[in-house]
Amino acid sequence: MNKRLYLELENCIGCRSCLAACTQCGGHDERNRNYVYDVNPLVNTQTMPLMCLHCVNPACARSCPAQAIQIHETGAVLSALVEKCIGCQNCTIACPYGIPKFDTEQNLMYKCDLCIDRSKDGIPPMCASVCPTNTLQWLTDEEIERKQKQFNVKNDKWVTSIHLENETNVRVNLPGILQGITKLY
Amino acid sequence: MQANTSTTKKAGSINNAFASHFAKSMFLSVLGLLILSFIGTRMFTHVDLNLYGYMVGTIVFIGGFFYRFIAWGERPPAKIFIKKGIKLLFRKSTPQTTAEHLITYRFIWNRGIYRWTQHILIGFGCILSCFVTFPLVFGWMYFTMDDNGMYNIIFMGIQVMTVSAEGIIAQLSYNALNITAVMVITGVCMVLYRRLKNMQARAEQTFMYDFLPLIMLLLVSVTGLALTFMNMFLHGAGQPFMSLIHQWSVIITLIYLPFGKLAHIPFRPLSVFARNYREHYMEQAPKPCKVCGDYFVSVEQSNDVINVLGTNDIEFAKKEGFHLAELCLPCRRKYRIAQFSGFPTHQVKVKEANQNANG
Ligand code: SF4
Ligand code: SF4
Repeated sequence: MNKRLYLELENCIGCRSCLAACTQCGGHDERNRNYVYDVNPLVNTQTMPLMCLHCVNPACARSCPAQAIQIHETGAVLSALVEKCIGCQNCTIACPYGIPKFDTEQNLMYKCDLCIDRSKDGIPPMCASVCPTNTLQWLTDEEIERKQKQFNVKNDKWVTSIHLENETNVRVNLPGILQGITKLY
Repeated sequence: MQANTSTTKKAGSINNAFASHFAKSMFLSVLGLLILSFIGTRMFTHVDLNLYGYMVGTIVFIGGFFYRFIAWGERPPAKIFIKKGIKLLFRKSTPQTTAEHLITYRFIWNRGIYRWTQHILIGFGCILSCFVTFPLVFGWMYFTMDDNGMYNIIFMGIQVMTVSAEGIIAQLSYNALNITAVMVITGVCMVLYRRLKNMQARAEQTFMYDFLPLIMLLLVSVTGLALTFMNMFLHGAGQPFMSLIHQWSVIITLIYLPFGKLAHIPFRPLSVFARNYREHYMEQAPKPCKVCGDYFVSVEQSNDVINVLGTNDIEFAKKEGFHLAELCLPCRRKYRIAQFSGFPTHQVKVKEANQNANG
């Protein structure tokens, strides 16, 4: 059963469990590869997570001169191969979401790999396993579709799909609180 | 998986350039080898025909290498780094960068001492072996023996040294390959141990890409050592057979080299190019972020990335009048949050904080 990472942005309470969990994934070298931002930092407490969306046509890999960023058969865009990355940082400039991180000491880029050691076997990535508010979920396409139907009230106020720069393997959703509307469930 | 990241769009034109580039490089290298061997062997009078198989293997390797290198160099991002890297080769910092990237592997040290040790052992084991074997195979170096128990070392047809057959230099040169074999075997064992234990390695590794080269290196070293063993303790029994296996394993390794994991050896010098490129253009003209104004990369690299993405039909120009590659990383991320929420997060002058968890 193919599952995807699914983000329901407005649920986020800013606990940063996902950052902590990310550091604990087998190959992550105890460094997290995801982000949590305050939407309007001086005014309210709404936060949103941001992570690699695993683009179908990933700008990071296209811009890499060393072919260090491989695409796994599950669609996950992997972190740089340590022996290939030449440290040019093209990928960090190319990514439309600013995701790849660069370690100057190690001359190596590292990024979210969707915890490939887990997700390739259908186990949710660390972030989705720990998120206490269901902001990050690991769902099948049918489940995602059902959610979108549930949120789609056809009154132009619900945003059920957000404009992204490109087609991504991660699905992002923002069902409504920020539009001043109470959630249905 | 390799093909995933290469452009297929302009396959026609790439292939045209490719055929001629390939033929040219191939011709020049083989010619170069021939000339060197001609000089080295004093007009082919000192060819060691036992080593004939290696010669063929090397030529096949060169063919494979150019095939791979040229196909790779045609990819737009690689092309930029090769072209600009060559132009910037003579920077003041080049010797130091080269030493750190290609000799002391400082960046691998920073990734972990275990990894550095295994890499040094395998890397230098292989490099030193090549320094010994290639001159022998192509006849650039050979030995002659006088009656008085002295060896003459002949390099490129010139007698460079006369050493006693029992002396330390002679001992070192007989045993050079044994020493390097032990280095490689130790290194490969360390790597294999890590690959069997480390969870991430276990998740990502494949047999063809990660294990085959290790097994081949192990086979080369073990059969090489076995040759010495048979010489010293078995009076050469089984040597012809073992030498065939050894020869076969070296040739397979050479042929595999440009296409698998070991391909990073010939490609690694590019990291020096990349460093020079970043330093040079950053000094020339740094790029201010279009939102916060912080310098975050060079103008050159920002433009190059935009162009490279363009050749892949990826276009991130925004209605605000900037391209996403013109925003620094924190601003680009906040700009995304702004797209999600509808509130212009990137305009709020608050520094990014609280993004690193302690593992
Ligand atoms: S979001 Fe960025 S890092 Fe992730 S696949 Fe897309 S371009 Fe690459
Ligand atoms: S920093 Fe490494 S992974 Fe990123 S583009 Fe350069 S070589 Fe590729």
